[in-house]
This record gives sequence, structure tokens and C-alpha cells, in this order.
Amino acid sequence: MNDMTGVISRATELPWLWAGLTAYVLATVAAVMGILRAQVATVGSMAVVRTHEKFVLLMVSMGVALIAIAIAERWMRLGHGPFVNLFELLMSQLWSLGLVFAVVYWRVPLLRPSAVVALPMMWVLGGWVLALQPVDTALPPTYHNDWLWAHVGLGKIFLSFCLVGTGLAGVILLRNTQRFASWFRHVPADEVLDALAWRFMLLAFIFHSLMLTAGAVWAQDAWGRYWAWDALETSSFLNWLLLGASIHARLTYRIPIRVGAIAIIAVFVFAFITYFGTPFYSEAAHKGVV
Amino acid sequence: MTHRMMNMGRGLGSTRLALVGMFLLAIGAALSYDNPAETPVWVLVVPLAFLAVNLLAAIATNPRINRRGGLLVFHLGLLAIIVLAGVGRLTHFDAQLEITEGTPFSPSDLTNLEKGPLHSGALQQLAFVQGSFTVDYSSGMVRGLTHSQVLIPDGQANASGGGQGWQTKVVGDDRPLILEGYRFYTTFNKGFAPILTWIPEQGEAISGTIHMPPYPLFEYKQDSSWTPPNGQEIKFWLRLKTGLREDAAWVLNGKTATGVLVVNTGEQRVELEPGQNVQLPGGNLRYDRLTTWMGYKVFYDPTLHWLFGAALIAITGLATHFWLKVGVRVPSSHAAGSPAGSIGRLQKMPETTDGRFL
Ligand code: HEM
Repeated sequence: MNDMTGVISRATELPWLWAGLTAYVLATVAAVMGILRAQVATVGSMAVVRTHEKFVLLMVSMGVALIAIAIAERWMRLGHGPFVNLFELLMSQLWSLGLVFAVVYWRVPLLRPSAVVALPMMWVLGGWVLALQPVDTALPPTYHNDWLWAHVGLGKIFLSFCLVGTGLAGVILLRNTQRFASWFRHVPADEVLDALAWRFMLLAFIFHSLMLTAGAVWAQDAWGRYWAWDALETSSFLNWLLLGASIHARLTYRIPIRVGAIAIIAVFVFAFITYFGTPFYSEAAHKGVV
Repeated sequence: MTHRMMNMGRGLGSTRLALVGMFLLAIGAALSYDNPAETPVWVLVVPLAFLAVNLLAAIATNPRINRRGGLLVFHLGLLAIIVLAGVGRLTHFDAQLEITEGTPFSPSDLTNLEKGPLHSGALQQLAFVQGSFTVDYSSGMVRGLTHSQVLIPDGQANASGGGQGWQTKVVGDDRPLILEGYRFYTTFNKGFAPILTWIPEQGEAISGTIHMPPYPLFEYKQDSSWTPPNGQEIKFWLRLKTGLREDAAWVLNGKTATGVLVVNTGEQRVELEPGQNVQLPGGNLRYDRLTTWMGYKVFYDPTLHWLFGAALIAITGLATHFWLKVGVRVPSSHAAGSPAGSIGRLQKMPETTDGRFL
């Protein structure tokens, strides 16, 4: 058994990680303050609404850069990427979610107000990663495979687009409550957010399909079978089906926008459980260790 | 198509039924969660067949799907995946193999065979000889890469003009040995095997190996037993020196490992070094030398590459659909006094008439 103080003193990535998380927190605070200020401004006054956005973008980008350094530190020390334990998975997701969110935030100004929902989601990961010990890991033999990169990368894009959708869905739900209605007065109508959110969910679906395909190829290499209904495979297949069915349901029936928003959040929560719960539910099943 | 058939097709191909099918498939998948072996296969087959019929009917009758190229390709791809997965199950072959270093592969050594009713592969023609192997371990006994040497016929006559030459290949972990579509994957299952010769008091001597339990998984339990013809049961225990370390990296290597064989008949207990022998009731037992065995998982499915192709084509179809149809519809006129901002080329397009944007 490693003694924990030793583990922590060796983990030179921690200060960078803490700094990165602080940047994310600052971004969230700025996003909320921006919205609160907009709340008192008259509709149409752009200047008030937008001044904080540059700072939010800067902070998220800084967070991404700092977490990238944390990952690099650990990578150089251990000789392999952040793929093995929950600490590494959370850290790398914090990086990729931030990165994709920053790009989308920059390129799609329409959804910037949703940062007040999306960024706190990252706190959940951030809080969690802080609660874990950064114990050293060894790369299992099945992880020396190029498909790992494709699989993990595609999964990251899927989850990031889900996060974007969830941010928008959160705004739709929040603005329909009494308490938060005034926060989002300047934000485009529900129909616009709904359309945008589902567009990201369809993109997410495409990346999820790619992730499943790359995962199946890797599974064939790693375990000599492409599909065996193991816990992680089944969970992500159900996640894919849930998203496919939601897309279909929306095309088949006139689903109320708020119900659609709940479906988006359900897909995200399901994905969250698949990513951060299932691999650790059955230790050896999807980790190739023995 | 007659009017009636068309109506029937529409009913069968309704997207409502697709939702029912997806729901049933979700239940089937949830039941299979983590224990497919004990779940009856119909919980998956029935919903998949249902979805396939539903999808076929929709493709035949619904212009919302058959007039939109990308979407059509996507759904055809899904259909192809269902069909290919079915064909795969009918023609597959799965087995385990434990093979001793220095011996040729023989199909009769396969265990835990499972195959589809339509499997017809060239199993009898497979030829390779197992060589030696090494396995890297890092500190804490975490298994690293396996390098397993195999000899395969190189298809050319050798220098002396007769027979065949052999070519050495190194396989391991995610680099299987692939012969005639059969894939041999190394597993964590591997260990040591003393080569023994039994010289009975009458009759001919026989040689063979005893596969000791997997190493280092059963490092503490390297024992086995064997009963010679007309003899009494002999218990074996192998005391190994492999350089195994828990606190540092090491390499498991059959070439450098040594082992003393403890032979126990109940009345008699002897320790044999390689080359030594012992007189036992009914015959003489010689411990020739120590060798190793490697455990493989054998897998055969002729649809593998087709499945991969179908998945990629399907996703390309959906991406095209997204790019051409979905990506261009943006409801910019709904923006309520706010900076809708630039959403690239998307924003220039008018919204859809039915108010649904996806
Ligand atoms: C098996 C029976 C299926 C049928 C009959 C079916 C039928 C259809 C139809 C008619 C559309 C076009 C709907 C419209 O634009 O109004 C559509 C779209 C779509 N379907 Fe399916 N489908 C089936 C299965 C699936 C499955 C299993 C998935 C994935 C889980 C899926 C994913 C999609 C997606 C992503 C779209 C695109 C929607 C868009 O335009 O954004 N479909 N399907």
C-alpha cells in the first residue's frame, strides 16, 4: 500500500490541476455575474450583455491550458496518457470538455448564456477529482493500441457536445422557473435554443456512433471479440439507443420543448454514469488488467 | 406497389413502431448487461428482427427517409449491421487453446469450442508451431506486453529443396496470429510445463508435458497430478525460479526460468532437477526439462471487416445528412432581442416551415 503523503508529494501535476480548476471557477463566476448584470439592463443593450464574455472565454481557455500542463506532467512522470484510473479519466475529461466548450463558446455566441449551466457541470468533475488520490497507474497491455486514441477522442467529443446541449437544455428549464426567469431575458426564444441544442445532440450522436465503432475495433484487438455486452459496452449502447430514440421521438411526436430538454439532460446524465461509473463497477471487465 | 400494400408498408414502417422496437431492444440489452451467456439470445434477436422489418418497410414507403440520401444510407447501414451481426453469429467460431512450446497446433487441442451452425472454416489446414514467449511485468505485478513467438510455414521450399521453410512471427495482446481468418490472441493464461518421460517396466516409453496452472496468477499453487498407465497417481509440485518480483519490474521468460520438480506418490517424495529420474511403482519417471505453454483465445468471424465498413458507411451517411439537411436550418428569426451572433454559414438559411429544426 502506498502512503498517501508520498503519493501527493510526488504528484507534481496537482498544483497545475488546482490552478486549472480555479480558472474554471472564475469563468463560472464571471458568467453568472454577466447574466446578473444583464438582468437589470434593458433588452437590446448588447454592451452590457457581452462585456464579461471575453473574460469567461479567457478563463476557460486558461483552465484548459493549465490542465493540459497537469496532464503533461503526469504523462512524463508515468510514461503514459491519462487513460487508466478515475483520477486520470476525470482530469482528461475536464480538459477536453473545457476545450470543446471554449471553441463552441467562441464560435457560437448564441449559446454563451448557457455557460452558467454548463460550467457548473464541470465543477462536479472538478470536485470529484479533488476527492481522489492521484495514485500512479500502469498502462495495461491492451492499451498499447492506436484505436485507444480514436475511441477516447471520439468519446470526448461526444460528451462535450452533450455538455453543450445540456447547457442549452438547462437554460430552457431554468428560464421557465420563477426564480431564474429574469436571468435569461436576453437569451433567444426557447425554440431557438431547442433547435440549437438538438443540433448538437445529433452531432453528439454521430460521434457516439463513431466511438462505438472505434471501441468495437479496439475490443476485437484487445479481447478478441468486438462485442460481448460487458457492462461498459451495454451501458454505452443503451446511451446511444436513448439518444437515437429521443431524436426519433422528437421527429415522430410534437414533444414539448421542455420535455425535450429533460431528454437531453437524461442523455447527458446517462453518459456521465457510463463514463465515470461503469468502468469502476466491474474492475477488470473493461480495463484489460490481470 | 398496390395501394393496399403501400398502406400496409406505411403501417409496418411507422416511426412509432421504431420507437417500440428500440424500447424492446433496450430491454434486451439491459437483460444481457454483463452476463450475455446466461441471457436467452431471443431477447436481442426478436427486437432486432422487429426493427429490421420496420426499417425495411419504412425505407420502401416513407419518403422522409427514402428521398433523403444521407439518412437513407445511414438506415441501410443499420440494417446491414443487423444482418451482418446475424450472419456472424451463424458462422462464428470461438475456442480456447493451450499449446506447449515447440509443438505444432492441432485442432484437437482446442477446448471450450463454440460455433455457429453454418461455420465452415479451414481449421484443419492451419499450421503453426508455438515458440517461446516473454511477458513484461511492472512493479506491483501489473502485466505488460506479451511477446509470443510462433513459426508459420513461409510457403517456400527450403534451401535443401525439400519440405517447407518456416518464418518466425511475434504476436501478443492486440496483435493476433491470423491464419485463414482464424485469429489467435494471447491471453493472461500461460505457464510452465515440465516435459516428462515415463519408461514402464514393460512396453514403450512415452513422453509428454504437464501444463502447470497459469503463472504467475497461481504462483503459490504450481501443482498437478498424473496417473501412468497401470501405475498409481503421481503428484507433482513445481518449485520455480523465475525472477518474479512484486516491488519492481521483471520479465517472465521461460528461457531463463528454472524449476525443480517435486514428485510425490504418497510413499515416496523426491526432488528432481532437469535430466534426473526416479524409480516409481510400475516404471521409471524422467524429468527431461522445463518448458512453457501459452494460452490463446481463438476467434473467427467472416463478417468483421464488413461490419466495420457498414458502420463507417452508415455514419458517413448520417454526417452527410447532418451537413446538408440539418446544419442549414437555423431559426434565426426567433432570436428575441439578443445577439444571435454568427453561427457560421448556418445562420443564413431560413427556418423550416414545420417549426422543427432537426
Ligand atoms: C429500425 C427502424 C427505424 C425506422 C423505421 C427509422 C425511420 C426513420 C425516419 C423515417 C427518419 C426520418 C424522420 C423525419 O425526418 O421525419 C429517421 C431519422 C433518423 N433516425 Fe431512424 N429509423 C429507424 C431506426 C433508427 C435507429 C435504430 C436509430 C439509431 C439509434 C435511428 C436514428 C435516426 C436518426 C439519427 C435520424 C435523423 C433525424 C434527423 O433528421 O435529424 N433510426 N429514421
